[in-house]
Amino acid sequence: MVRFRGAAVLAAAVLVLSACGSGSETPAPASSSQPRVLKLWHYESADSAMGKAWDEAIKKFEATHPNVKVQFEAKGFEQIQKTAGMVLNSDEAPDIMEYNKGNATAGLLSKQGLLTDLTEEAAKRGWDKLLPGGLQTTAKYDDRGVMGSGNWYGVPNYGEFVMVYYNKDLFAKHKVQVPATFEEFTAALDTFVKAGVTPIANAGAEYPAQQILYQLALTKAQKPWLSAFQSYQGKVDFHGPEFTYGAQTFADWVKKGYIAKNSSGLKAEDMGVAFMNGKFPMMISGSWWFGRVASTIKDFEWGHFLFPGATLSPGSSGNLWIVPEKSENKDLAYDFIDITMSKDIQNLLGNSGGLPVAADPAAITDARSKELIETFNKLTSTDGLAFYPDWPAPGYYDVLVAGVQNLINGSKTPEQVLDEIAKPYEDNLADIGN
Amino acid sequence: MSVRTRGYWLYLVPSLVLFTAVIVVPFLMNVGASFTRWSGVGTPRWIGFGNYARLLEDERFWQSFQHNVGLIVAMAVVPTAIGLVLAAALFDYIGKRFGPRTASALRAAYYLPQVLPVAVAGVVWGWLLHPSYGAVNEILGLDLDWLGDPDLALATVMAVMVWFQLGYPVVIFMAGLQRVDPAYYEAAEIDGASWFRRFWHITIPQIRPEIFVVLLTCTIAALKVFGPIFVLTRGGPGNATMVPSYFSYLNFFQKSNVGYGSAIATVLALIIIVVTFLFLRVQEREQ
Repeated sequence: MVRFRGAAVLAAAVLVLSACGSGSETPAPASSSQPRVLKLWHYESADSAMGKAWDEAIKKFEATHPNVKVQFEAKGFEQIQKTAGMVLNSDEAPDIMEYNKGNATAGLLSKQGLLTDLTEEAAKRGWDKLLPGGLQTTAKYDDRGVMGSGNWYGVPNYGEFVMVYYNKDLFAKHKVQVPATFEEFTAALDTFVKAGVTPIANAGAEYPAQQILYQLALTKAQKPWLSAFQSYQGKVDFHGPEFTYGAQTFADWVKKGYIAKNSSGLKAEDMGVAFMNGKFPMMISGSWWFGRVASTIKDFEWGHFLFPGATLSPGSSGNLWIVPEKSENKDLAYDFIDITMSKDIQNLLGNSGGLPVAADPAAITDARSKELIETFNKLTSTDGLAFYPDWPAPGYYDVLVAGVQNLINGSKTPEQVLDEIAKPYEDNLADIGN
Repeated sequence: MSVRTRGYWLYLVPSLVLFTAVIVVPFLMNVGASFTRWSGVGTPRWIGFGNYARLLEDERFWQSFQHNVGLIVAMAVVPTAIGLVLAAALFDYIGKRFGPRTASALRAAYYLPQVLPVAVAGVVWGWLLHPSYGAVNEILGLDLDWLGDPDLALATVMAVMVWFQLGYPVVIFMAGLQRVDPAYYEAAEIDGASWFRRFWHITIPQIRPEIFVVLLTCTIAALKVFGPIFVLTRGGPGNATMVPSYFSYLNFFQKSNVGYGSAIATVLALIIIVVTFLFLRVQEREQ
């Protein structure tokens, strides 16, 4: 009897399981009333200009797409940076995602066939008209994954650039004027050093120091050099006048005390906090600090200016919206990008301390934001965005970090550092078939 | 194998399946990837021993192993030596003089860094060692760039690792000392042996198996150390604190050189297997 009952239970269990199995194999009938889901990932913090704008864009999207739910997941920059290839190659890919621009990032993914070609949509929806030439560079990649030409694989809808943030109170205290030329700039640096003040906040363990070195190289650079370095349209001599000047001057700046000798192990956060605490008169860094600087500094007046003596500055479009090749809702992803390009979202971005690409100038009411946008427009109108030094090769960021750390410590000469940063660049060139 | 023990093999099946799925298969896949040129996506291209040939010539790779030697000293040798003295002192002196509760409290205090997540410990040490406002410079009246100076960075990381590791040998050795027959100590004391002689002739020989276990596990931990380097220095300044596991990670995730990263990981795994094997052989011979 016991054996019979056991067999009956087993048979019932098999029936239940097989019922479950057959149910799960039959796809649910599609119906127009069934809600769709747009999976969206980005890594902007909620209180940043972009965070606020994208939050509003999601609300607007849901209002205009009543049958669609946006499933937003906040990610970390590093998290996406390190795993994007694997995620987008899996079935877990989102429908739309924010991603870093450049050859080593979006370019690499486009070459690997992981991104949707957006060329047709860009033309159809007019995104190509909204983005001035320099900003389109990071949207397009050729079949080698090199930016600047080819198909659209991403859409940027804001900009960023490196500038000099300055402490107006410290400038006034030491009777320093805002410099208009490179000579005036170094004279100002000397004035601070003579007064016992280290003038430039720096951080060698992350991006800030390498951007200063690159900015110094850019004071000697022209467009063809930039195209050669960033887009491989020519040979780059790392011991040529541009990088030699950059590395040599950077090392001199450390020796002269313009940059602290003990800044090689510091992170970008250390630099930003030190400047915002009023410990340094200047910080050479990107517009991504702007909103935070504006909301944090209460004890002194501050402003910004473009690095004097250079027509080129590190900067580019902002990060890209990319549509993974495996996205199941590409049409919705395109609609979302369209909304982020709309005037009201772009105006909100501008009024929150961001750099919109398609805002209505009259609608930007915040005075500081207006000034920032004017500087950015000045730079883009002269095609002055020079991208970033770590873009040309995968893993180049760490190479440059190690290089500038050696310059700060004085453990290697500028020539040795230039050799060190040349090799991985050349290796990458060989890799991409140039 | 006897007929009596043959039936017990069945009990090993679950762990064998798990071991195969979690260790053997990924390891073989990693070895396979190390013979390819692969960005992690798309079709890998077979290049034979190309990555290994490149490794042999890669200065950063060899440099990273030299740093590993320093970290073995900091994470295995020094904590074991200090741990032995501390455990003996806590067991033999503090425990007897101030009671077992005091000894337990001190043991827990030494073990505390092991409980802390490495990221938290790393961030806190980053503050303490900060060249501008760090408490270490403040207390010592110095102006050193502990983690930013290439001549100091590795030594600083080593010092932090000694602090981090110390509690582990102390706890293991104190547990080992519990099983030592007190009669040995009593007899030695009656014979007039000093504390150091008792430590040298009774404590160390009696807890030799524990010393082996601690040295082995700490050496393996030092060979594959990643977290503290990631949080404290990211291999810098320059490459002053680069270690193989971080170097492998850089190739995997920063450079999309999955083949080369796999080759580094494979070499590291083989070195760990060889070290483990040697340790176990020596231990067997000792016993």
